[in-house]
Amino acid sequence: MKRGFLKQILALTLAVALTGSFVGCSGKDPVVENASAVEGAVTETDADKANTFTYAISGDPGESTNVITSSSRWDLSTIKLIYSPLFMFNADGINWFLATDYETEDNLTYTFHLRDDVTWSDGEPFTADDVVFTYTEMEKEENLGWAYSQLVYEQGTVAIEKVDDYTVSFTFPFVTPTAVEMLSQIFIMPEHIYKDVEDYEHNEYNLNSVGTGPFQAVEYVPGSYVKFRRNESYFLGTPAIENLVFRIIENSDTAILALESGEVDAYQAIPSEVDKIDLEANNLETYSYSEGRVGYLMVNAKNVPDQKVRQAIFFALNKDDLNKASYLSEEFYLTPYTFLPPSSRFYSEEVEKYEQNVEQSKKLLEEAGVTDLTLKLGYSGSDTAQSAWALLIQQQLAEVGITVELDAADSTALSAQMHDSENDYDLYFGGYIMGIDPDTFSSLFESGAAYNYMYYDYPEIDELFAAGRAETDEAAREEIYKELQAKIQDVATFYPITSNNKILVVNKRIQGIEDATLVPVYTFEDTSYLKIEE
Amino acid sequence: MTKYILRRVIQAIPLLLLITVLCFLLISLAPYDAIDAMTTPKMSPELVNMIREKYGYNSPIYVRYWRWLVGLLNGNFGYSIVNGTSIYNDLVSRIPNTIRLVLPSYVTAYMLAIVLGLIAGANKGKVLDRIIDSFASVSLSVPTFWVAMLLIYIFGYRLRVLPILGMRTVGVNTLTDYLRHFILPYAVLTFAFLPGNIRYVRSSTITELSKDYVMVQRAFGASNREILFSHVCKNVLLPIITRLGMALPALVTGAVITESVFGWPGVGPYFVKAVQGMDYPIIMVILVLSSTLVILGNLLSDVLYCIVDPRIRGEEA
Repeated sequence: MKRGFLKQILALTLAVALTGSFVGCSGKDPVVENASAVEGAVTETDADKANTFTYAISGDPGESTNVITSSSRWDLSTIKLIYSPLFMFNADGINWFLATDYETEDNLTYTFHLRDDVTWSDGEPFTADDVVFTYTEMEKEENLGWAYSQLVYEQGTVAIEKVDDYTVSFTFPFVTPTAVEMLSQIFIMPEHIYKDVEDYEHNEYNLNSVGTGPFQAVEYVPGSYVKFRRNESYFLGTPAIENLVFRIIENSDTAILALESGEVDAYQAIPSEVDKIDLEANNLETYSYSEGRVGYLMVNAKNVPDQKVRQAIFFALNKDDLNKASYLSEEFYLTPYTFLPPSSRFYSEEVEKYEQNVEQSKKLLEEAGVTDLTLKLGYSGSDTAQSAWALLIQQQLAEVGITVELDAADSTALSAQMHDSENDYDLYFGGYIMGIDPDTFSSLFESGAAYNYMYYDYPEIDELFAAGRAETDEAAREEIYKELQAKIQDVATFYPITSNNKILVVNKRIQGIEDATLVPVYTFEDTSYLKIEE
Repeated sequence: MTKYILRRVIQAIPLLLLITVLCFLLISLAPYDAIDAMTTPKMSPELVNMIREKYGYNSPIYVRYWRWLVGLLNGNFGYSIVNGTSIYNDLVSRIPNTIRLVLPSYVTAYMLAIVLGLIAGANKGKVLDRIIDSFASVSLSVPTFWVAMLLIYIFGYRLRVLPILGMRTVGVNTLTDYLRHFILPYAVLTFAFLPGNIRYVRSSTITELSKDYVMVQRAFGASNREILFSHVCKNVLLPIITRLGMALPALVTGAVITESVFGWPGVGPYFVKAVQGMDYPIIMVILVLSSTLVILGNLLSDVLYCIVDPRIRGEEA
């Protein structure tokens, strides 16, 4: 009896243990390799490592990645490798890919000439049909494409027409200075592959698709990595690097250690992380580039209606201290004084800059007849920069007798709150990356606009936006936006704090970063220029 | 016995339904949803509205719940809202990875705990007990992510003998490569599962040792060793078996933090990401899965208990 019992226990434990080790071993099931194959694999890896660029990314692109609906950073970075757009529209101008130039006579119809020497990676020729197909699918309401609102307007839809095999024209329903920008960054998908696809997120072609980009996806392991191999027939020249791997690492501490140990070659870091890394000892280098982001403090005009009080708040703040506290070194940020990023062509500093002036601030408060002011500040608790700002602002405003009540929230919860016009915050932090043209900022600054969280009502601002939109003369537009920037500063609901850079930390064995060009969102404008030098 | 098991399973169904209703309700009470997390000022309000409509956010909560439930019952796990992937495919590729990590760790921790716990309990108050017990206290209070970072720092960065990340080197499919990736998270998890079990075994050993039958054995002149391994051990193992069943849900959600730190492609990082993005279809499926396992685990414990303990078996019959 005694024996029997112990035997049962033993058998049970053993069974569990065996299943454990069995599962443990069967993990590698897809390959049952013999010794020689293993050796082969090892040497191959060394060779692989020598021509593989591994980039640590913080999100899983997923098998649903496609040119129509995908809009997150890492999805788009994946798409940028596999596909090409007609052209990219960046702060420094147009960068041509599948198209070579455009012309317009009436600022309504834009005619683009396409390259005639491009083939899809399966050998099929690239033609205007693919372009028409992609833009048409983007305009279909049921596809919910990311660029839908750039092509479909209340006044009508942008008409796409094939002129000949290598010429396409786009006709806007109204004259807009942002037309070219609205057509940019849309990646062209192969009509011959996707023509019968109805659901762009779920089909068998995503991530193993045929493209015109510098790389092709060859292997995707959910939660682990996406592996790309170079596209030998890439129309701008065969990429120098054979393999490119997007390694998915969601924990930033792990990513940094992996970067230091050489397991990954590149990682997008924040300044406090760069500060911790011993760059020299680990053969690393940093590259800092602007994404045109603006980080700001906003005043909810509904809750703080007095312009003088708002100006008093701004005069009490010290922008430099805020930036130094969160971005450590000046190479990691620019200081903006208007709603536009300093990298914008239309950026102007002929505005009220609100340099810190405690006396002025006190005087304004006195004029407004306000004492014992208490303000509620909302910010994202997980954002290190915002948390640092919150404490500093509390301190700086205390000097002029304003009490700040800090309210740390989840970042999405906060933006959902800001979206509610009845929210009880007086101040909040946020940040945006909008388009290149100042008109793309109108959804944030026009009175009553969908994303205007300041809830003000200033018809002058709306009129200036409308004027800038209607004007096609470059110099005249510059004047309008200069006035607009000054006006928005005057009403004192928006206090730009920073235009912080993205920082890419790269292993020095990876070269050609300048040629590949660092750009917002996609990291590299053209990965085919990257080189590996051991 | 079969009848008993069947009855328990049927009893579990309303409980499961209640859990799903509660989870669904709590997620909907959150101050934002998955669409808010995706919205950028570049999207026109019309587009945002269209996306909302596509995912059914415009209908009342009970309609959404019903739709979700019907889908689940038809074996349709649904799609992630944030990146549109099929949840079923995602889980099929991730759950085995988690099991492969958790199961060996748990078994190791379990066996080590039995041995260490018995030794500590038998030597209550002596040096050996103090060492084991303080080890358990310390390891119980040390967070796993810290242990994980420490091991990564030592073995992955300082000594550079083990890889830091993931389950395999990209493109390499060998057993050695897998084991090299496996060893660190395995060690961390074993360390995490160990203290709870040690303490459990230790305290039940102490309880057993103070019972009358031990005194009787002593009076008969049995040696300590004999008492411990032939008499006390089997009584101690009884309650331990219940812990085995209760560990079942750990197979899915037992290593969330460790997996995230090591970039192990299991359920953990997937779940964390879904919670951050309020991706409710994923959260719901994982919650249903783990709560099912909790219920099944409890059932398993009871059944195992019946099998090994003749006293309970007698009552059931």
